[in-house]
Amino acid sequence: MSQPASAPAADTIAAVATGPAPGGIGIVRLSGPASLEIGAAICGIRPAPRRVYHCPFTAASGELLDHGIVLFFQGPASYTGEDVLELQGHGGSVAPQRVLARVLELGARLARPGEFTERAFLNGKLDLTQAEAVADLIASSNEASARAAVNSLQGRFSELASQLAADILQARMYFEAHIDFPEEELQTEGTGGIRTSIQSLITRLEEVRAQASRGRNLVEGTTVVLAGPPNAGKSSLLNALSGMDSAIVTDVPGTTRDVLRESVLLDGVPITLLDTAGLRETVDPIEQEGVRRSESLLARADHVLVVVDVLNPGQLRQTLATLPETAAPRTTLVWNKADLLAGDSPRSPVTEWPAVWVSARTGEGLENLRARLRNCVTGAAPADHVFSARARHVEALDAALQCLQNAAQAAAAGAGLEMVSEDLRVAHDQLGRITGTVTSDDLLGEIFAGFCIGK
Amino acid sequence: MKSHPYDVIVVGGGHAGTEAALASARMGRSTLLLTHNIDTIGQMSCNPAIGGIGKSHLVREVDALGGAMARATDQAGIQFRVLNAGKGPAVRATRAQADRVLYRQAIRRVVEQQENLRIFQQPVDDLLVEQGRVAGVRTASGIEFRAISVVLATGTFLGGRIHIGLEQSAGGRAGDPPSIPLADRLRELNLRVGRLKTGTPPRIDARSVDFSVMERQPGDTPTPWISFLGNAEMHPRQVPCHITHTTPETHDIIRANLDQSPMFTGVIEGTGPRYCPSIEDKVHRFAERDSHQIFVEPEGLTSTELYPNGISTSLPFAVQEALVRTICGFEQAHLTRPGYAIEYDYFDPRDLQASLETRAIAGLFFAGQINGTTGYEEAAAQGLLAGVNAARRASEESAWVPARHESYIGVMVDDLITHGTREPYRMFTSRAEYRLQLREDNADLRLTSVGRSLGLVDDVRWQVFETRHQAIERESAWLHGTHVGPSSQRAAELGNLLEQPLTRDQSLFDLLRRPGVQVAHLYRAMDRTAPAEDIGQQLEVQARYSGYIERQQAEIQRLQEHEQLRIPDDLSYQSVSGLSAEAIQKLEETRPLTLGQARRIPGMTPAALSLLLVHLRRGGHRLGQTG
Repeated sequence: MSQPASAPAADTIAAVATGPAPGGIGIVRLSGPASLEIGAAICGIRPAPRRVYHCPFTAASGELLDHGIVLFFQGPASYTGEDVLELQGHGGSVAPQRVLARVLELGARLARPGEFTERAFLNGKLDLTQAEAVADLIASSNEASARAAVNSLQGRFSELASQLAADILQARMYFEAHIDFPEEELQTEGTGGIRTSIQSLITRLEEVRAQASRGRNLVEGTTVVLAGPPNAGKSSLLNALSGMDSAIVTDVPGTTRDVLRESVLLDGVPITLLDTAGLRETVDPIEQEGVRRSESLLARADHVLVVVDVLNPGQLRQTLATLPETAAPRTTLVWNKADLLAGDSPRSPVTEWPAVWVSARTGEGLENLRARLRNCVTGAAPADHVFSARARHVEALDAALQCLQNAAQAAAAGAGLEMVSEDLRVAHDQLGRITGTVTSDDLLGEIFAGFCIGK
Repeated sequence: MKSHPYDVIVVGGGHAGTEAALASARMGRSTLLLTHNIDTIGQMSCNPAIGGIGKSHLVREVDALGGAMARATDQAGIQFRVLNAGKGPAVRATRAQADRVLYRQAIRRVVEQQENLRIFQQPVDDLLVEQGRVAGVRTASGIEFRAISVVLATGTFLGGRIHIGLEQSAGGRAGDPPSIPLADRLRELNLRVGRLKTGTPPRIDARSVDFSVMERQPGDTPTPWISFLGNAEMHPRQVPCHITHTTPETHDIIRANLDQSPMFTGVIEGTGPRYCPSIEDKVHRFAERDSHQIFVEPEGLTSTELYPNGISTSLPFAVQEALVRTICGFEQAHLTRPGYAIEYDYFDPRDLQASLETRAIAGLFFAGQINGTTGYEEAAAQGLLAGVNAARRASEESAWVPARHESYIGVMVDDLITHGTREPYRMFTSRAEYRLQLREDNADLRLTSVGRSLGLVDDVRWQVFETRHQAIERESAWLHGTHVGPSSQRAAELGNLLEQPLTRDQSLFDLLRRPGVQVAHLYRAMDRTAPAEDIGQQLEVQARYSGYIERQQAEIQRLQEHEQLRIPDDLSYQSVSGLSAEAIQKLEETRPLTLGQARRIPGMTPAALSLLLVHLRRGGHRLGQTG
């Protein structure tokens, strides 16, 4: 079943209300009946309507996410006509996304593009002229989200999700055939077989779930790793890239002592730049551990920039030797300190790697590098929609996972086939939000193709 | 020649037609049932069985609304079984083998005794249409009958063509003529038409069959029944069915003669049902199997004919005879009638309203196989719905449209008008997303009150329902309201029942949710008189499914607004800004009646639905201002 077009009043929606462009303030807006409860859980206070409070925004663990202002508008005296709550914190993309993630964790649903306006409209808060604009608004985000969906559905994730949906369909086919055709001579798996097949679906879904969030979660955004020998100018390049946007939105402390991370916005896309410890052969056990972590980061990165000093081309071979093979298709060579080359010097030893020449000091070539990164990590879609589409996928995967776990529990407790298949149906519907609607006729088609049915 | 006008005319005396006519007459509308042959009213044209998975659910719903099918089955059933008895209550289904003659007599009796209902024998050739709305019908001999509403329930008779081998002939059913003039007339209307086919096996004389080599399949003990007003004493004598198998020789004969099968040679243009394939189809598609099972069903107590369920075929008669005689126990079989395939016209049900009224002609309703369905039960359910709405149309009341979460009738009609159908549509429980709520055991709780307010349910049925309903409510309230805990007086007695001991205060209803806990045990432990068996079972089922049903209720609630938001018939999708060409095409093919229905069209995106929603709301706003 496809997703409902408009949320019911029972639903609380949330989104980052400020644009992805760098700015001083980032607003997470909620609308719906649970707005106040969710706000209270994050801020530790219950704000009275239309009063301004300054407070910390905290995670479930008590960890500080951000701090800022909370504002509550009681419906119907609000923009949407429902209870609305705003959490105004630091701007940019990372801090608001972390707050948003917490809001979603507390039960809000990510708003669809235009949904706040739509609710305002449905609740009679807009006049006719304003309402005319709503259709256009939704139409434009329609295109954008379609592109975003295509983007995030490309490649491995899409394959995995579709494969998983196909496997759930297979499991359902088995269950439904046994329910609807008890008199046919169907091959039977015992209850043991049923439990094994659900368990394997769970394992697979967990893998897809990990795939979906790896390097792409709301907090971290896309990951780009800078690698290269010490003194090649990685740190200055990091600063140049982030400084160029004047958009260092937050300093998330490195998770290991070996990695320095900066978060920047590249045309509105939050990107985490990771500066790794130098890659080189070493026997020192502590340094070995650092290198091991670097390698694992390199293997998981969305993109790798190998930074080499133009004046030390000899370091290139050694650096490339330490790169994991799997990183190769995602790697760009960055020849730094290009301003130090004499104008008529050859620009590089020729390699098969895509390469750019930059000077972190003068800014030369940085625009090229940005363009290269933009192509590599985002494709053509506007960033906010890329991320909302992905968050929606993760949400659907989580819901599907929950249902499969229920199904496994039910099967283990000896519940009837019809109850297990109810959980599978809902799991399948949830995946359908990613891979497309599944009709009961598709299911029957599978049954008739797979079993000899019919008296 | 003209007659006085009726409120409702029903054309066709099959399972759809009779339920339609009965429903309209029960509601007090003057009703005329027109059939080409009064003696075939209630005829079972195909296999002599009623019910089965998904189908019995429909039968119970028709019964809960006062229909005739379930009671006729209880009076005619000669073998009753509950399918899926080992599975959960939502998917359990009663199936009865019926004596054709007794069934037909039972239906005929109900029809003849029904007030406000008249019967007339004459084929209908033409529809009277005046200013875009139906005005009546004209029979083959030129008699005109006028009415406010007309229900067409013409089964496989429209443009019917029978195939046996490469021979073909016009026919509506073996031995009956087709309705060619009416088919031609309907093809002139603004309705999309298609061809479907279905098949039937040859019949066999029981005296030529060796049952001793077959597996005997008796009915269940104690004998089940199907109507809410039924009981086992209503049944005639019970007899067993048998099961036998095809052999490798059977398959060899079929394979050697595929070139004489009209389906394989492409002579038949209609699409057949995937769940009821011909034996040639099964042998061809599942080549690795060297045997298929056949259910040998008696046609009745006074007949020696058998219905060999599983070998539907349209091969030439000589081949049918040869292949039948390779089947265990059929070595000496005498065939009493050949099997055949029949092709017929159906009308794309996407051209219907949810009331089963055609969109093209006001007051004209379609029910049964004319809408692309198959099965007596599917036909009866549509007939009842069309009869209700034809009657309501005649008294200018708004249509009654059952929802997907209320009944299988609602699921079926919504499937038909949303998706159309490419093969004869048959009900399965997997079609119902709210399957756990749509059970045989609660069809009355779901529908009888509605039926009463529609005027379908008589005092006798209402009294039985109210007694049962009140008992369920009373006991349910007690179970919900009685809390027990580790320190309760009854803790010890309860402890004996429970695998996991009581650790905190819980309602008895919660305890009933635990696996293995039964109403009878709980009442004994609490020293309260246990309710009647059907009441106890109902409470157990409600408790067992309660978690799932609560979740489904939330889903239903969430989607309710869309289900109720109507899309105007004349909406131009081109004028909805932002809709993609693909979405416009899909919407125009189906022309959904509500936003909820639009949501179920495969390939509709949330964004397209939002655009539609906003467009509709905007229209509604304007209407509100001017209206």
